[in-house]
Amino acid sequence: MKTIRFTVNGNEVAVSSPPTKPLLDVLREELDLTGSKECCGKGECGSCTVMINGSSVCSCLVLVGQVENETVITAEGVGLAQNMDVLQQAFIDEGATQCGYCTPGFIVSAKSFLNQIEHVPTEEEVKTALGGNLCRCTGYTKIIKAVQSAAKLSITQQGVKN
Amino acid sequence: MKSKAKKDVLNEEQKLKWIGKSVKRIDGPEKVTGEQKYKTDYSYSNMVWGKVLRAKYPFAKIKSIDTVKAEAHPDVICVLTYKDIPGFNGFGIVTPDQPVLCEDVVRCTADAVALVAAETVEAADEALDLIEVDYEVLEPVTDVENAMLQGAPKLHKDGNIHSHVTIKNGDIDAGFDEADYIFEHTFYSPRQMHAFIETEGGWGRMEEDGSLVIECPGQYGHRDKLQIARALALNPERIHVYSSPNGGGFGGKDEITVQIYLALLAMNTGGRPVKIHLSREESVIAGIKRHPFKVTVKTGAKKDGTLVANKVRAVADTGAYASLGGAVIALAIEHASGPYTIPNVDMEGFCVYTNNGIAGAFRGFGVNQVCVGIETHIDMLAEKTGLDPIEIRKKNAYKQGDISSLGHVVKSSVGTIETLDKAAACDLWKNRDYYKNQVSEPWKKRGVAVATSFHGVGMGIGTPDYGAATIELLQDGKFKVGVAIEEIGTGNGTVYAQVAAECLKCDINRIVVVQGDTKQTLDSGTISASRSTYTGGRAIATAAPNMINLLTEEAANLLGVSVSEIELAYDRLVDAHDHTRFVTYEEIYESLHDKHRSKRVEGHFYLPKEKEELKNSGGAPHHLYGYMTHVVLVEVDTLTGQTDVIKVVAIPDVGKVLNPQGLEGQTEGGAVMGIGYTLYEDVLIEDGYHKTKNFTDYIIPTIRETPEIETIPVESNEESGPFGAKGIAEVVMIPIIPAIMSAIYDATGARVYHLPATPERVYQAIQESKPQSLISR
Repeated sequence: MKTIRFTVNGNEVAVSSPPTKPLLDVLREELDLTGSKECCGKGECGSCTVMINGSSVCSCLVLVGQVENETVITAEGVGLAQNMDVLQQAFIDEGATQCGYCTPGFIVSAKSFLNQIEHVPTEEEVKTALGGNLCRCTGYTKIIKAVQSAAKLSITQQGVKN
Repeated sequence: MKSKAKKDVLNEEQKLKWIGKSVKRIDGPEKVTGEQKYKTDYSYSNMVWGKVLRAKYPFAKIKSIDTVKAEAHPDVICVLTYKDIPGFNGFGIVTPDQPVLCEDVVRCTADAVALVAAETVEAADEALDLIEVDYEVLEPVTDVENAMLQGAPKLHKDGNIHSHVTIKNGDIDAGFDEADYIFEHTFYSPRQMHAFIETEGGWGRMEEDGSLVIECPGQYGHRDKLQIARALALNPERIHVYSSPNGGGFGGKDEITVQIYLALLAMNTGGRPVKIHLSREESVIAGIKRHPFKVTVKTGAKKDGTLVANKVRAVADTGAYASLGGAVIALAIEHASGPYTIPNVDMEGFCVYTNNGIAGAFRGFGVNQVCVGIETHIDMLAEKTGLDPIEIRKKNAYKQGDISSLGHVVKSSVGTIETLDKAAACDLWKNRDYYKNQVSEPWKKRGVAVATSFHGVGMGIGTPDYGAATIELLQDGKFKVGVAIEEIGTGNGTVYAQVAAECLKCDINRIVVVQGDTKQTLDSGTISASRSTYTGGRAIATAAPNMINLLTEEAANLLGVSVSEIELAYDRLVDAHDHTRFVTYEEIYESLHDKHRSKRVEGHFYLPKEKEELKNSGGAPHHLYGYMTHVVLVEVDTLTGQTDVIKVVAIPDVGKVLNPQGLEGQTEGGAVMGIGYTLYEDVLIEDGYHKTKNFTDYIIPTIRETPEIETIPVESNEESGPFGAKGIAEVVMIPIIPAIMSAIYDATGARVYHLPATPERVYQAIQESKPQSLISR
């Protein structure tokens, strides 16, 4: 057991854990952040995607010792029901969630992608960015639309602010 | 009279406030933020971990099971075997032939031999290794045709043929005699995996009052409860199953998954809650799959495109246990001649046991496997005769009131011809030559094809099929609508809220929906068989007038007028003579509460059934079907055989669209699942062992493979349905399968009869389709 400190969704946390425990299990079992899901356990499906220092990674493949002093953001950190991110609202508006089990992973992957660009992505760009996330319900069409409409809305809002 | 009736319907439609609108999902915020709790997301402080010991061999006798070493592990709480089952050691929706824990024989590697509960997941794994099972290994039965032979080793005492169904109509020989063309081919279909993103898992725990709680996603909590009760010899009233939401199901959670294991363990852990959550690898081995079929179809037709005879022999590999295999093969045979009026048919199906895992319910339920025969043959006929493939289908399609290929009069709504008309008029079909010429590389070829199919809504004859809903007025003036049918991803809860708000004339935010909770809701049947919108919707629409009566009576009391003088206005009840006088729902609640009167009403609905069952058919025909036509554009790489689906036009006959966005969610998801079935997906089992392990080697479509999908709904207005709706959740993945197969042919001149149409198979078919001189060169 070791005490490992890192930042999750803006909060500094210290967990007592074997450093080889997967970050996903620490998030779910120690920190009750259950938005991130285990589906394949080997980095094939993206259901456990979190951002580490802004980059999207599969948290089932990251050991908690590796995130010491790093910054982690989960779907809950992108926004909660009370104050949803435009991306999350776009997923609802476009009907991009069905059973919802993969959705938090998609939200994190898409948010990380949108954070890195300043334009409305093409369909091809969205497909490349989200190629590592599996969904069995939606057929993905509405997910592509949701990411594009969130980008549009963010740019419009940015324009208003400027 | 008729035009007036139509006008009334129109007026009624214009007045609809919630029905037909893309109402946003009521569970959307929880889902997109990760706040939605699925069953395995819960935690209990004094929990223990449960694990299942699966069979080491696909077919073996158990000589002994020794748990002494496992029990001695310091972190192990209990180790359970068949000896610890208080009740009936078996489960299975129709035929309970699958042991909860095997006693003397294992029949597939999915079989459970022992259960362990331990302090940590690691300790549970160690304990599984310490259980010593002495097996006598038997030769596995892995081929369906061999399994049916007289001398084959028997998996079950009655032999390896679980069921045999037949449907005959007309005179098959006379039919083929009058045919100008006869086509005969054998098709093989894959062992598709549901690949729900949430693997099977949940909690078993004892309440302080001695009742048992199972929190586990499932597709029929009320039935899960009965299967648990039977195995544990418990009073079902002392078991509460919470089975919603599901992180996807598609039929794969219709059967018992881990509920009985959870229940057994929970009763042996000294009151500590037990959690099981299958790894993907275990889910692949333990979970049911789609039945692989071998289907031989012989179709006879005349020069003018009239189909005159269809002969079908289908053999389904149900693996080691029946589950819903008998029903799957029955539905397959019911649908194997398509939504047509073929006068002479002779169809039979066998459901056969093997040691290849377990097969069961899966979206489409046998129709996916058989539709390829008749649809491929129609396209072959079109090519031979030069007739238009859409015209041939229209010529043979039955209309409402016609006699189907099965020989029964179809009394419910039929939208086939309208879906075909819309297909003929859609851009992709009209301009198919243009789209086919837009190849992305010179060595790639494009093809366009169309196919149509249908799928029964609800259960067939002989299976109970009912819906029930409760509506309860709450203190805050909201309505709690209870329908047991689980949320599985389709958004049925949102549709339930729409139906309730529409019927009660209130804001949708006043509707709170409760699903998948055996304590709070009445048995309303399964989330399967394309039935949940139709059945749950009708049950709510039946309960709503009872609630309106309750509200009206109390409003009349409060306003001091007669019941006939109360009007249901939007979000309130008013005095018909003076609209300034009204009562709110909150006031009505308070008044009823003070009088100790019930605030809850019920509505019940039995699905309409056909009166006469076709002899030996296993429950055919259905009363109600959903119909669907797909048009697809594919591009085939002739150098590698890889096929990409570029465009899909999905044209479902839905009766009535209740929520356009939800409908598109189904057509888009169904199309992509159909693409996976046709092109990539197959769980490979060799000698009874799964070669497929995880998503590394089981490829489902990713976002990169998703095509452009257009949905053009047809509304045939089904009179028995809620606001005219019927079910479509399965048919949305069906005709796309033969459509892709024919589009590959249209592109390359090569036909693939063995699905999935992998690059290797397509490449091979292209090579074989070339003239010999080209190959030898």
